Amino acid sequence: MIPAEGILSFWEYLASRRELLVFETWQHASMVFQCVLAALVIGVLIGLLVYRRPRLAAFATSTAGVIFTVPSLALLGLLITPLGLGVAPSVVALTLYSLLPIVRNTIVGLSGVDRTLVDAARGIGMGRRRILLRIELPLAWPVILTGARVATQLAMGIAAIAAYVSGPGLGEQIFSGLARLGGANSINMTLAGTLGIIILALLFDACFLIIGRLTTPRGIRA
Amino acid sequence: MTGPSAPSPPSGPSGPSEPGPVGGPAPAAANAGAPAGAGGPGGGTAVEPRTALHAPTGRSWRAFLQPLAIIAIGGLWMLYVENSDLDSIAARVLAPDYVAQKTWEHIELAVVSTLLVLVIAIPLGVLLSRSWARPATPLVLAIANIGQSAPAIGVVVLLAVTFGIGFWTAIVALVAYGVLPALRNTLVGLQQVDPTLTDAGRGIGMSAARVLARVELPLATPVILAGIRTTLVLMVGTASIASFISGGGLGDLITTGVSTQRTPVLLTGCILIALLALLIDWLGGMAARLLAPKGL
Amino acid sequence: MPDTVPPVPPAGPTRSAAPSGPADPALPGAIDPGDGGPPGEAASAERGGIQLINVTKRFPGQATPAVDNVSLTVDGGEIVVLLGPSGSGKTTTMRLINRLIEPTSGKIIVAGRDALGLDPNDLRRQIGYVIQNAGLFPHMTVGTNVGLVPQMLGWGKARIKARVDELLQLVDLAPDQFRDRYPRELSGGQQQRVGVARALAADPPAMLMDEPFGALDPITREHLQDELLQLQEELGKTIVFVTHDVDEALKLGDRIAILDKGSRIVQYATPKEILLNPADEYVEQFLGGGQAMKLLKFSRVADVPLQQVPQAAPGDDAAAVRAQIDAAESTFAIVLDERDRPVRWITVDDLDGLTGPIGDHGTGTARPIRVRNTLQQALEALIQVEHEWVPVVGPRGVYRGTVTLSTLQTAIKDMKEQTRSRRRQDKAADS
Repeated sequence: MIPAEGILSFWEYLASRRELLVFETWQHASMVFQCVLAALVIGVLIGLLVYRRPRLAAFATSTAGVIFTVPSLALLGLLITPLGLGVAPSVVALTLYSLLPIVRNTIVGLSGVDRTLVDAARGIGMGRRRILLRIELPLAWPVILTGARVATQLAMGIAAIAAYVSGPGLGEQIFSGLARLGGANSINMTLAGTLGIIILALLFDACFLIIGRLTTPRGIRA
Repeated sequence: MTGPSAPSPPSGPSGPSEPGPVGGPAPAAANAGAPAGAGGPGGGTAVEPRTALHAPTGRSWRAFLQPLAIIAIGGLWMLYVENSDLDSIAARVLAPDYVAQKTWEHIELAVVSTLLVLVIAIPLGVLLSRSWARPATPLVLAIANIGQSAPAIGVVVLLAVTFGIGFWTAIVALVAYGVLPALRNTLVGLQQVDPTLTDAGRGIGMSAARVLARVELPLATPVILAGIRTTLVLMVGTASIASFISGGGLGDLITTGVSTQRTPVLLTGCILIALLALLIDWLGGMAARLLAPKGL
Repeated sequence: MPDTVPPVPPAGPTRSAAPSGPADPALPGAIDPGDGGPPGEAASAERGGIQLINVTKRFPGQATPAVDNVSLTVDGGEIVVLLGPSGSGKTTTMRLINRLIEPTSGKIIVAGRDALGLDPNDLRRQIGYVIQNAGLFPHMTVGTNVGLVPQMLGWGKARIKARVDELLQLVDLAPDQFRDRYPRELSGGQQQRVGVARALAADPPAMLMDEPFGALDPITREHLQDELLQLQEELGKTIVFVTHDVDEALKLGDRIAILDKGSRIVQYATPKEILLNPADEYVEQFLGGGQAMKLLKFSRVADVPLQQVPQAAPGDDAAAVRAQIDAAESTFAIVLDERDRPVRWITVDDLDGLTGPIGDHGTGTARPIRVRNTLQQALEALIQVEHEWVPVVGPRGVYRGTVTLSTLQTAIKDMKEQTRSRRRQDKAADS
């Protein structure tokens, strides 16, 4: 449905574009969720592989740090060449950016586990894998989760820029607003996109709080 | 609200020089099977500090490789691009003068906005950390956290819609986007100053202003400096978005590259922005190390 | 699920018969005495004895070995304290036993089996392990912490729960109150009790304790030391205890191994022997002087011969008591109540001109000391009372005898004499 040209109030705009906005919000959320989830799996695996070897750990952290320092627009642009426009570069960029906080926090969390506890676990006859699953990961979990939370906040904003390379999500509203700068509804579009992302980010953050609460044993809750 | 251990979201540029945010990477993590246990034998303890002692020297030596490598890569890329077969559109945009101008604009955007951010954020942070303002800090931190979830591009475009386009709008947008993390950093830095030290300051008869100047600010310098570095890098990144609203900068190369479908132009923009960010991050790291008070 | 399965019967060379089914190899009953155990060690092996034979540990990159060719036999059911300054390798030596550190060379036998031939994890589940600050897992409840080893051994839920409650009771923590608490909700002393309970969970024949009370305040430490001794009376575990605290070693050890650099065992003897006859200057220096006082501190009243004085009851006739005192060539008697508890001293002077029952004549005795008290406490009591004697009581306050300053003096002299003559005999036997 094409809205009539003419200046609408913000609420009218929201109402007239409801379906599109809901769709784009869903896409935005879904992309961020999937990318952070992928980064969580990859990041924790990387963390597990390197945290016992200080040199590898430093290497992993600084590599992720370099990627992280590269501005998102630049990385997205670089990815256009091999991946083209659309979902692919957006997803790759989002996952890469989400990796840094997760890798770093996984390493910090795991190596922050009190060595005497690991020693105690070995002393009562726990094997390597059991120590990892029952002692180290549970104790590092709050820190890892914080990493994922930071990654999510970050990915929310970067997903908006991804619309520039035709990525899915609410960024499209912002760029439409930019394209019609000065035109009718330009501000409505930008505002809808921006507010939508803020609300999504806050919702996700709340989810993280709840997840953290539910998955952190009472004994180590702050 | 993000816990105190949370790395501030857009932060942690952390080249190889910056330790992890959460308590730093635990040193001397298990050294193979060696015993790091409590009251360990003289043996286990002798092995581990060695890496710790040698690492910093190795790092500072390597630290100078990084900027050199960055400049070399940039130079090589420019050489390659200038000498490759370019059509007239690409050639015009990639002319050395034009690229240099865009790079300078980019640095201008980043530096001016960073300075403004600091001028706003640090005094505000100091103000908010005074005891009479303490009740307000959780609120401010909460607002900072909400503000940080606003997408940079959204802030930039909204301001352009409201104030029109151009360099100064871009600056306003960048400042609006950068103030909150910097404020947060200052607050956190001042909050983590050991209260017994400020107490001691008062105890030997320092005035509140003197305690701030002689105790709190010096002790908070490392965190504040790290915050400045973070802000700089953040601004370099966000400045690339400024080209969307005619703010200038290297982002122009990206937008031109995309709109004219000239890959060399696009790549040059991306590469130069990435290298600039890395270089500034390195500079920030060096500055933080040189300016930090001795003994901390 | 990696290793929740009951451990495979360990393939140690000393194993004779396979255990029946996936029973708990950690229960003392399940540990077969080992017909193939090292010759001559069967007796101690049965009760979980530990033997180190020419064990050496060399850490890579270090000039001198941390543990240099050490041999040490810990008999089943005794507490052996490894005592030495930091850096002497005592912790390393202890950690070799449960293979938290793998020896470079040598042989280790635990409960009659070659420890180096077992899976390290199986081995560790059969050796309790207590460390400083308890090392409780903060994300698990007290109950889960205690039940970890039984769980790894594949016990059923009900059995684990019963065992956890039993153990908490054993270490004096009410199960209903503490089972579901988290470690950080406990005091340091309580945490360490849980640590001990966790180590005891699968009823291992042997326990390793690495400065377990080092981080506690002196009062709690004393208290837990006493409790450990009490527990040990009931359980009779083989315990290797590491400390750098001489007093703790003297108090807890059945035998003490004093270690020098490279875990060289300078002296391995009972506390009394070490105090009376330090092997060399190093030991003497380490003990820090005041051996006579320490001897008083770590010998119990029960260990010395008590002085017997005439006894009387309130209903006794004064003349009869007088006769009794004269017969014993003494100057006083002790008056006991109907349950044989000391009440009063009565002296010849008190009896002068007295006829009929002695009633409540005489002076009340000071608070009696107990046979479990140390000689130091006896000395203190002696210094504080107005006469030169203090009564000693056993269980239920029953009178046992009397201690005087000369009792203590003689006791120490005797102890010295005994060890000296034993030395002479040993030397004679050697040559």
